[in-house]
Amino acid sequence: MVYSAKMLNDLSGDEDSVELEFESDSEFNDDEYGEGSDTSDELLYKNDKKKTDYLDSINQKESLDRKPLENGYENDGVPRLTYNCLTTDQIYDLVLLRLDRIQPIFDCPYGDIIVMLQKYGWSEERLLEDWTEFEDKVLISCGLKVAKQIGCSRGLQNHPDFLCHICCESNKRKSFRLECGHEYCLECYQHYIKDKLLEGKVITCMGCSLALKNCDIDAIAGENSSQVLMRSSIKGFIQKHSNHYKWCPFVDCNCVIQVNNISTLSEFPRFHLSPYVVCKNHHRFCFKCGLESHAPGDCQVAEVWVKMAQMESANLNWVLKNTKECPKCGVNIEKNGGCNHMTCQSCDYEFCWICELCWKGHGGGYYECTRFKKDENNGAPETKNSLRKYTFYYKLFSEHENSAKLDWALGLAVEQKVKALQENIGLSWIETQFLPESIRALIEGRTTLKWSFPVAFYSDPSHNLTKIFVDNQALLVGAVESLSQLLQVKEPQDIINRKLEFFNKAKFVESRNKALSECGRDLLCKGICIARTT
Amino acid sequence: MASLPKRIIKETERLVSDPVPGITAIPHEENLRYFQVTVEGPEQSPYENGVFNLELFLPDDYPMEAPKVRFLTKIYHPNIDRLGRICLDVLKNNWSPALQIRTVLLSVQALLASPNPNDPLANDVAEEWLQNEDNAIAKAREWTNMYASKQ
Repeated sequence: MVYSAKMLNDLSGDEDSVELEFESDSEFNDDEYGEGSDTSDELLYKNDKKKTDYLDSINQKESLDRKPLENGYENDGVPRLTYNCLTTDQIYDLVLLRLDRIQPIFDCPYGDIIVMLQKYGWSEERLLEDWTEFEDKVLISCGLKVAKQIGCSRGLQNHPDFLCHICCESNKRKSFRLECGHEYCLECYQHYIKDKLLEGKVITCMGCSLALKNCDIDAIAGENSSQVLMRSSIKGFIQKHSNHYKWCPFVDCNCVIQVNNISTLSEFPRFHLSPYVVCKNHHRFCFKCGLESHAPGDCQVAEVWVKMAQMESANLNWVLKNTKECPKCGVNIEKNGGCNHMTCQSCDYEFCWICELCWKGHGGGYYECTRFKKDENNGAPETKNSLRKYTFYYKLFSEHENSAKLDWALGLAVEQKVKALQENIGLSWIETQFLPESIRALIEGRTTLKWSFPVAFYSDPSHNLTKIFVDNQALLVGAVESLSQLLQVKEPQDIINRKLEFFNKAKFVESRNKALSECGRDLLCKGICIARTT
Repeated sequence: MASLPKRIIKETERLVSDPVPGITAIPHEENLRYFQVTVEGPEQSPYENGVFNLELFLPDDYPMEAPKVRFLTKIYHPNIDRLGRICLDVLKNNWSPALQIRTVLLSVQALLASPNPNDPLANDVAEEWLQNEDNAIAKAREWTNMYASKQ
C-alpha cells in the first residue's frame, strides 16, 4: 500500500500531514503512481499487486493514506507527492519478490538471476531486453557461463597440501574454486571478498570473470556476507537514481524515500513550497535539496543561508554553541536541556539563554528577544551593521538548532517515561501517546523557528508583513519554550495530571507553527524575502 | 620491517631468473617492496628505441591491492600525465590478485603500443592525438629521442 504526505501549506508537521486514511483495495488505482514514475530502469513496477501487498505488510502499523488524486494534485492545484518509505533491506526484499515472477522467463536458478540483475544495475527491463536477444552473451558477460568447459566442480575443496598461487604458501588445507578451475586458498578468498563486499559490484573469480554467486560468498566468507554485498549494491542503485530515491539526511537513519510521481516535483517552486517527505522515524526533510525541513524558507533561502554559514568560521560556531557566562555572577554555564529559561546553579539568577536578560520580562508569552533591534549607533558603517545583523540571526539559528538536537535526546528520555507510565501506572499505549506527540510538535516547532531566522534575515525589515512575521516568530518562541519547559517534568504521576496541559500546549505550538510557515511563504510569494548571495 | 610475504619473494625471484624481454624490475636494497623498473618502447610505436624509467611500489595489502606504478621518464602519451601517472584498467578497477608485477608491466608496455585517446588522462595530449594524429606521433617520437634515448 502506498502512502503519501499531503503537501499542503501545513508545513507545521502536525499529524494531519502524514495522517493516513485507510483505503479499500477496490479503490486502489494504479494511476496514483502518476506519470513520471515509469522510467525504464524503475526498480518497482506499477500494476504490480504483489508490491502493494508487500508494502502493505511493511507499513501495516502506520497505514495509510487518503486516496491520492489521479494527476497528483490537490483540489486547490497544490502539488502533492506520493512516496514510500523503505530501507535498503526492504528494497532488496522487493527485488526478491520480483524474482518469483521473472524466474520462469529466465529458467535459471535465483542466484544466477540476482547476479545478472546486479550486473544490470537492478534494471529488469534492460536485462530482459538483452536476454531475449542474446541469452548466451548475457550469461557470459555476467560471468555465469565458462567460455571453455573443463568440467571442474564448484565449491569448497579439501586438500592435504595445497599450494595457493595468490599467497604462494603451501600446506593449505582448504581452498575454493569455480567451474573455471582457478583454485585459491580459503584465506586468500576471504581476504579478497572482504574488501569487495562494500563495493557492491559482482565479485568474480580472482583468475577470470566468472561470477561468485551469493551462496559462494556465504560459503567462503560466512553466513550473511552476501547480504552485505546486496545492501551495498542497492545503495549504489539508490545513489544512481537520486531523482527517485533519497536518503533521510538525519544521522543514523536508514530510511530511503521513493517518490512515485516525480514529475510533480517541478511544480513546487512555483508555489514557494518545498516537497517535504516524512520517513518512518518521523524525520521530515525536503526531497528537492535533501536538507531537513526548512519551512518557512524555501530551498533557495536554505541554500543561500547554509552557504553563508559555511563561510563563517567554524570557530564562531563553536563559541556560540557552547558555554555562556551567567549574566549576573559570571559562572560558565553549559546548556544541557532544551528549555531556554535558565536558572544559574550558583546564584539562582533566572535569565533567558537567548538574550541573556532577566527572565522576568519573558513570562507573558511574548518574546522580545527574537526581534533584531537596529543598531542605535547610526554612525556605524553599513557593512559592519549587516555583519552584526547576520551574526545576530545566525546566533538565533544555531541556538535553536542546538535546542532541537537536545530535544531529540529528550524524545528518547520520553520514550522511557512512556514505558514507565505503562508499567507503573498501568496506562495503555494509546493513552500515553500524547507524550511522543508533544515531543514531535516541539521538535517541528523548533525546526520551523530555526529556519524562520534566515527568512527574517533576507526579508525587507521595513515591510509590514515582515513585522507581522517577526511577531509570529515571537509567538511561536513563546509556545515552544512553554511546551519545552513542560516536557522537563519527570514525575510520572505529575505528567498524567497535566495531560490536558500537554495536549493544549502541543496543539498551540502546532497552530503557531502553521501560522508562521504560512506567513513566511507569504513573504516569499510577495517577493519581500529574497535570498541572495552577497 | 615486517617480513616479506612469500608471494613477493617468489615474484622477485622469478623476475630475476626469468626476466620479461624488454622489461627489468630491480627491488630497492632498503625496501624490497619498491622496484626500479625500465620498459623498452615497443617496436613500430612512436616510443621505439626508447627506454623508460618507472617506479613500482607494492602496498601492504598486495596482492589484494594493485601495485602503484608511475613513469619517471617524461613521455608524450594520452594516457600518461605530466606526473607520470598511468590510466590503466588493471591498475585500478580491473586489478585481480591473480595478476603479477610482470603482467602489470607487460600491460604498461602494451599501453605504449596502443595509446587510447578516447579515455584520456592527459587531456591536451589526447586532444592533439584525436585532431592531428600524425603530429602527435611525431611529437611522441621527438620526446622519446629527447628524454628516453638509450645513452
